[in-house]
Amino acid sequence: MQALPIITLETANELVNALQDYLDKSEASFALVIDRGGAILSQCGKIPDGADMTVLAALAAGSYAATRELATRVGETDFSALHQEGHHMQLLMSAVDDSVVLVTGFGAQTTLGLVRFYSARAVPQVAGIIEKARAAQRPAEPIFTSADVAAAFRR
Amino acid sequence: MAIVNYINKEIQFKVVYYGPALCGKTTNLIYIHGQVADTHKGELVSLATAADRTLFFDFLPLNAVVIKGFKTKFQLYTVPGQVMYNATRQLVLRSVDGIIFVADSQWDKMEENIESFKNLQDNLAKQGNNLDQIPYLLQYNKRDLPNIAPVHYLEYILNNRRVRVPSFEAAATTGRGVFASLNAISRMLLQKFAREHDTLTGKQPPAAAPAPARTALSGIAAATIRR
Repeated sequence: MQALPIITLETANELVNALQDYLDKSEASFALVIDRGGAILSQCGKIPDGADMTVLAALAAGSYAATRELATRVGETDFSALHQEGHHMQLLMSAVDDSVVLVTGFGAQTTLGLVRFYSARAVPQVAGIIEKARAAQRPAEPIFTSADVAAAFRR
Repeated sequence: MAIVNYINKEIQFKVVYYGPALCGKTTNLIYIHGQVADTHKGELVSLATAADRTLFFDFLPLNAVVIKGFKTKFQLYTVPGQVMYNATRQLVLRSVDGIIFVADSQWDKMEENIESFKNLQDNLAKQGNNLDQIPYLLQYNKRDLPNIAPVHYLEYILNNRRVRVPSFEAAATTGRGVFASLNAISRMLLQKFAREHDTLTGKQPPAAAPAPARTALSGIAAATIRR
C-alpha cells in the first residue's frame, strides 16, 4: 500500500483548486478526496445540511471497498467507479489510485454524464497532486516529540 | 498510517476494535459515545443487522488532546465478529493505525478468542502488515460475569508474543476499563507517531517517557469526557 501524503499548505491549496475547478465545470455540489481507510484528505463545495463529512467519508470508503471486493469476486478486475442514485442527491465515487477515492455529490442541477465526464479529467489531476505530495520532502521540524505526548497525558 | 493535515492542524488515526462475536466491541463504542462531550465527538454510526449484530462496522469519530497546536483525531471502528464476515473485517482493517483486541473473559469463549486473534494476524498479513508494526493492546472484557477465566490465563493464551503488550480488565457495559484501553492505545499511537517523525526529520528522539498510569481520567478521557 502506498504511503499517504502529509497535507501541507501547498498540497491542500492544489487539491482545493483542482476540486473547485471540477465542481465549477461539472456543476456538482461537493467533492471529497478520501483515503480508503475513510479519512478526508480534502473537501470542497456545498455540504448538505446536517451532513457530517467525517461520517460520510467513512461510509463512502466502506461502500466503495465493499463494492470493489464484490466486483473482484465475480471476476471483474477493472473496477474504477461507483454510482449511487438518489431522489435528491447522487454520489459518484471514482478511484484516484490504490489508496485514494474521489467522492462527488450532485443533485438535479447537473447530470451523471456531465459529472462523469469531468471526473475523468479531475481524477488524473488529483492523482498527480497526491503523487507529488508523496514524493515531497518531509517537514524539517517534528510536529511534536515523545516528551510532548507524555506531557499531554499528564495534564 | 496517520494522516497529517497542516491546514486544519490535525492528525488523524484509525483505531479498530477487533475480537470474536459478542465480545463487547460495539458496547465499548456505545459507552464512549455516551460519556464524551458533544463538542468532542461525531455521530455514532452502526451498520447492523435487524438483530443489532454488526454487519459491516460501527464508527465513532473523536477529537482528543491538542499537542503543540495540533488536534489529534481518533476514528474508532469495530469489525463484525461473526466468522462469516471475514471479507468485511479485511476491509475495515485497511489503513488501520492501532488495534484494541477485545477478548471475552468467559471460559467457554477461549477458543473463539484464540481463533479471532489468529484471524486478526492472518488478515493483517494479507495486507502486508503485522502486529510487530501496529500498536495494539488487549482488553479482557466481561470481568463482571461469573465463570470467567483468570487474567493470568488470558495473558497465557493471548499475550504470549515476543513482546507483551498492555492489557486491561474491562466490563464495557458499566464502562470499567473502556477509557483506560482507549487512553492507552491513543498514547501508544501518538508516541509511535512522535518517534517516526523524529526519525523522518533526523532529530534524536528524547528518552522514553514513563509507562502510562492506568487511570481512566487522563489523556483522551480527560480531554473529551463530559463533565
